[in-house]
Amino acid sequence: MTDQERDRLCVERMRAGDTRALEELYDRHNGLLYSVVLRIVRSPGDAEEVLRETWLQICRGTATYNASRGTVGAWLATAARNQSIDRLRREGAGAAAGVDAPHPTEDASANAAHRQMSERVGRALEKLGPQHWQVVELAYFGGLTQGEIGERLNTPPGTVRSWTRQALLRLSELVPQEEWA
Amino acid sequence: MSPHKDEHLDLCAGYVLGNLAEDERRALEGHLEEGCAVCEVEINRLGRGAWAFAAATPRLLEPSSIRARVLDTVRREYGQKEGRAGSRAAFPRRQVVRALGWLAAAAAVVFAVLAYAEWQQATRLSRDLAGSRENASNLSREVQSAREWAALATSPQTRVIDLKPTPNGSAQLHARVTYDPSTRRGILSVAGFEAPPDKDYQLWALTKSGPASLGLVRADPAGRALIQLSNAGDPFTLAAFAVSLENAGGAPTPTAPAGLLVMIGKV
Repeated sequence: MTDQERDRLCVERMRAGDTRALEELYDRHNGLLYSVVLRIVRSPGDAEEVLRETWLQICRGTATYNASRGTVGAWLATAARNQSIDRLRREGAGAAAGVDAPHPTEDASANAAHRQMSERVGRALEKLGPQHWQVVELAYFGGLTQGEIGERLNTPPGTVRSWTRQALLRLSELVPQEEWA
Repeated sequence: MSPHKDEHLDLCAGYVLGNLAEDERRALEGHLEEGCAVCEVEINRLGRGAWAFAAATPRLLEPSSIRARVLDTVRREYGQKEGRAGSRAAFPRRQVVRALGWLAAAAAVVFAVLAYAEWQQATRLSRDLAGSRENASNLSREVQSAREWAALATSPQTRVIDLKPTPNGSAQLHARVTYDPSTRRGILSVAGFEAPPDKDYQLWALTKSGPASLGLVRADPAGRALIQLSNAGDPFTLAAFAVSLENAGGAPTPTAPAGLLVMIGKV
C-alpha cells in the first residue's frame, strides 16, 4: 500500500470516528504542518494554537476532502497554511514583521526525500529567476495579496500574476500526476 | 457560459495561493461554476506546484510535548460534540413516554440522565487518565532527549569548530559548532547574527558531494541563537561548516551572489 493510499484510508476511518486514524495522519504529516505554520506565524505558542485549530477543522471537514483535487498531504498542508494566514491577517502586520520571532530548532535529520524535494524546488525556481521565488514566497508564507506583492516589488499586478503562474507551472512538473491523486 | 480567456489562467495561480483580490476571486469562481474545463485542469496543475513548494519547506523540529496537547484537545473538542449527538439518538424519550406511562417515563428519563452523566464522567476520567499517561511518557522522552544532548559536552570525541568570517562576512559574526562525530549531533551557538531585512542566515555542512543545508539560523533580537543539530553530517564526508546570507526563507544550495558565504570553519 502506498503512502497516499494509507492516507486516504485514514481519512475514511476518521469519517467513521476512528481517532487512531487521526494519530496516524498526525504522525505522518505534522512535521511539515508545524514547519509551515511556524514559518508563517513565527511564534511557537501561536503555532501550537493554529495546529489545534487546523486538526480540529480537519476532523470536522473529512467529508470535504476530494481525492481528485490532490493528495491528503496537500489537503492537510493547505488547511494548515490557510489557518495560519487567517491568524496572521487577524493579528495584523505585526506578526508578519517578526515581533515575536521564534528560535526554532531546524530538524537536521529531515529525511532524504524531503531534502531531495527542496533541492529540486530550488533548481526549478533558479531556472526562472529570483522574482519567481519571491512572488510565491510572499504569497504562500507572507499571505500577501497579488496587489500587495506588486506594491512591495514595485511591479505591475499583471506581471506578478504571470510570474506566479510561471513559477507554479514549473514546480508542478516536480509532482507527477500519478502521485497527485 | 462565459467564454474562456487567457486572463482566467493568470487568475488561477492567485486562486490556488488564495491571494486574489475579492472581485477577481468572485469572477473566477463564477467562471468555474459554469464548468470551464480548461481552468479546472489548470487549477489542478497549479495546485501540484503549490504542493511542491510547501513540501520543500525547511523542516523545523517540533517539540515533542505539542503532540499530546494538540491531539488531546482535538479529541476532547471533536469527541464531545460527537458524543452528545450520539447520546440523543440513544435515548428516544418520546417513545418511552408513550409505552410506559407518565411515571415510568419520568423514572426512565431520570435514569437516562443519571446514566448519561455517569457515562460522561467515566469517559472524561478515562480520557484524562490516558492523557496523563501520555504526558508522563512525553516528559520521560524529553528528559531522555535532554540527557543525550548534555552528553555532547562530555563525549571524548566532541570537537569544537569556531567559524571564521570570510572576506564577505563581518567581524561582528561569531559562530561555534560543537560536534560529536560518533552521534553526528551538534550544537550551533551564534552571536552578532542580525540578518538584514528580507535576508536569513543559513548553516551548511560542506561535504565531498557538495553543500547540504542544516537549516536557517534565526537569532533573537540580541543576535544570539542556540540551535540543536540532530544530524550535523557524516564524519567521513564532512569537511567544514559554513554560514551564508540568503534571501528570506533560505535556499536549497548557497546561491551566490544572493547567498554570500560569510563564515566557514573546517572540521
